[in-house]
Amino acid sequence: MIAAATEFMKLSVPWIGDRTAAAQSSTASLWRVLAACVLTLSWAALARGADVKPVAIAIHGGAGVIDRVHMTPEREASYRAGLAAALDAGYAVLERGGSSLDAVVTAVRVMEDDPQFNAGRGAVLTHQGVAELDAAVMDGEGPRAGAVASVRHVKNPIELARLVMERSPHVLLVGDGAEEFALEQRVVLVPNSYFRTERRVRELEQTLREEQEPRKPAAPAGPGTVGAVAIDRTGNLAAATSTGGLTNKQHGRVGDSPLIGAGTYANNESCAVSGTGQGEFFIRSVVAYDICALVQYKHLPLAAAVHEVIHNKLQRLGGEGGVIAVDGAGHIAMDFNSGGMFRAVRDSRGRREVAIYR
Amino acid sequence: MYAIAIHGGAGAVPRHALSSAREQQYRAGLETALDAGYAVLEHGGPSLDAVSAAVRVLEDDPLFNAGRGAALTRDGAAELDAAIMDGKQQRAGAVASVRHVKNPIELARRVMEKSRHVLLVGAGAEEFALEEGIVLVPNGYFRTPERQRQLESEQRGRPVSDLFPASPGTVGAVAVDQEGNLAAATSTGGMTNKRQGRVGDSPIIGAGTYAKNGVCAVSATGHGEYFIRSVAAYHICASVEYRGLTLEQAAREMLHVIIGGLGGSGGVIAVDKQGHIVMEFSTEGMLRGARDSLGRHEVAI
Repeated sequence: MIAAATEFMKLSVPWIGDRTAAAQSSTASLWRVLAACVLTLSWAALARGADVKPVAIAIHGGAGVIDRVHMTPEREASYRAGLAAALDAGYAVLERGGSSLDAVVTAVRVMEDDPQFNAGRGAVLTHQGVAELDAAVMDGEGPRAGAVASVRHVKNPIELARLVMERSPHVLLVGDGAEEFALEQRVVLVPNSYFRTERRVRELEQTLREEQEPRKPAAPAGPGTVGAVAIDRTGNLAAATSTGGLTNKQHGRVGDSPLIGAGTYANNESCAVSGTGQGEFFIRSVVAYDICALVQYKHLPLAAAVHEVIHNKLQRLGGEGGVIAVDGAGHIAMDFNSGGMFRAVRDSRGRREVAIYR
Repeated sequence: MYAIAIHGGAGAVPRHALSSAREQQYRAGLETALDAGYAVLEHGGPSLDAVSAAVRVLEDDPLFNAGRGAALTRDGAAELDAAIMDGKQQRAGAVASVRHVKNPIELARRVMEKSRHVLLVGAGAEEFALEEGIVLVPNGYFRTPERQRQLESEQRGRPVSDLFPASPGTVGAVAVDQEGNLAAATSTGGMTNKRQGRVGDSPIIGAGTYAKNGVCAVSATGHGEYFIRSVAAYHICASVEYRGLTLEQAAREMLHVIIGGLGGSGGVIAVDKQGHIVMEFSTEGMLRGARDSLGRHEVAI
């Protein structure tokens, strides 16, 4: 009976499971379990009601010139599978009652480890042929944030960004100093070659060749920067972004991803945003924060705020890219002014999509 | 109407700890920077040149925590950050964690004008400096006996504190020129005894530095981490633009409600297109100066 009740509770309301287990191990009182069971039933009933808080996550794998002609069905399927794996990993965290912070970090980590994306392994290479990584995470509660830039030996920059947030008094650490902190936190460093893939080496070679020639239109790009935004059951928002930046970039160039307000922002009072695109324009327009400021102070619906910033303000400056965003009501916006954006969304209302083109 | 405001950092500046000779030196330093910036405006120059000129003077003055006389890291080195923003086209340039660039604000401006980028950090930023023909200086150039003493005292567990510096901190300037263009610039050595690679709000566009024509230009100083989390400089401009707050209301809310609410403190200088200057701080004092074409001319601590 006790086992059945516990099992039932875990199935119906997953986050009850831990509490019940704790109660069981301390006193194992049948009455306590029965009381919990009754509570669980009412909670389960509530959960089916309308006032349960929705959970949702959106992710992106970069925006840019995505040429259908150069996209083979195999490659497209593989990109979609990569997005779906990250989406589901992040959603699983939310579904079992985990925090939006854990969900976005989990999703980004999966994409960092997937060599298809321009973050972690498979990051694009600098002019000198090395990977230099940037990442940021922001917790809408607080709000608090952590970021790293120009790191060369950290397997999962998003994890280090989180450690900066949680274990240091700082927000942004760069270069060798960030790696010194990583070592102090017992993060194992990897050789830079870990990040390098054959494809990125070819891309760099091609870009270097093109530099010698007159300007040609940009080569068809695959997935880029990765990011995630989420809202959890308690209504907390979070955002995370990770990138290798630009192919052939100047050593030390930092884009918008690790800059709070530019490529990454979250605040429970307004929204959570992760951006991708021409980083310099995102920095100058303070894109992520501007979207949330329009939501909070001009009372624009999330989609309208995103539209205003991406299609009007950013485009006026000449910047290209896109964002994913979520607000406190669980609305998701995914918009871009480029050819396409690798993206995916999943929520507790049953929505689950993976998309690339408009 | 044209105007410029500068700051030399905010913090606890206990009057009793400040000898009158010292105070005179600070005031003279602020005065020189203010006049250098104002002279540019007076000759019809752009606000961008005015804020660069003012910040450059403060970088060269060893009393201030930027350029020569910057606070030292844990390892006893100077690591400098700077940013500049031109309100006209919302162009910006910034550098962080540079160790051998005499005037980081000049390099930030080169990043804005001569590169495709906005932010360059560390050795890569210095590589760019060399490509631009900028002469690098040894790190010892920045070190002063006073900063050395502060570092030692901090490391012995007697925080002079970076956060509430006994001596002036970050420097910055904001200006509006005769054509109504806004600009902002900020430069700093960061916190005393800081960890290598720590970057504060100064070089982050939207956090410590921001300018947009028609709205406002802001330069901040204080607990950098709180200013980053609050996107402080841009928030002030957004509050003016979206909520119709006055520059003063927006700056006060940022410092006393938002940053204060997070447990931080500091100060900001800001100017709008009408040449209206705001200099607010939630600390005991802020080294500051303002001068405009209507005759206002003040330096205060």
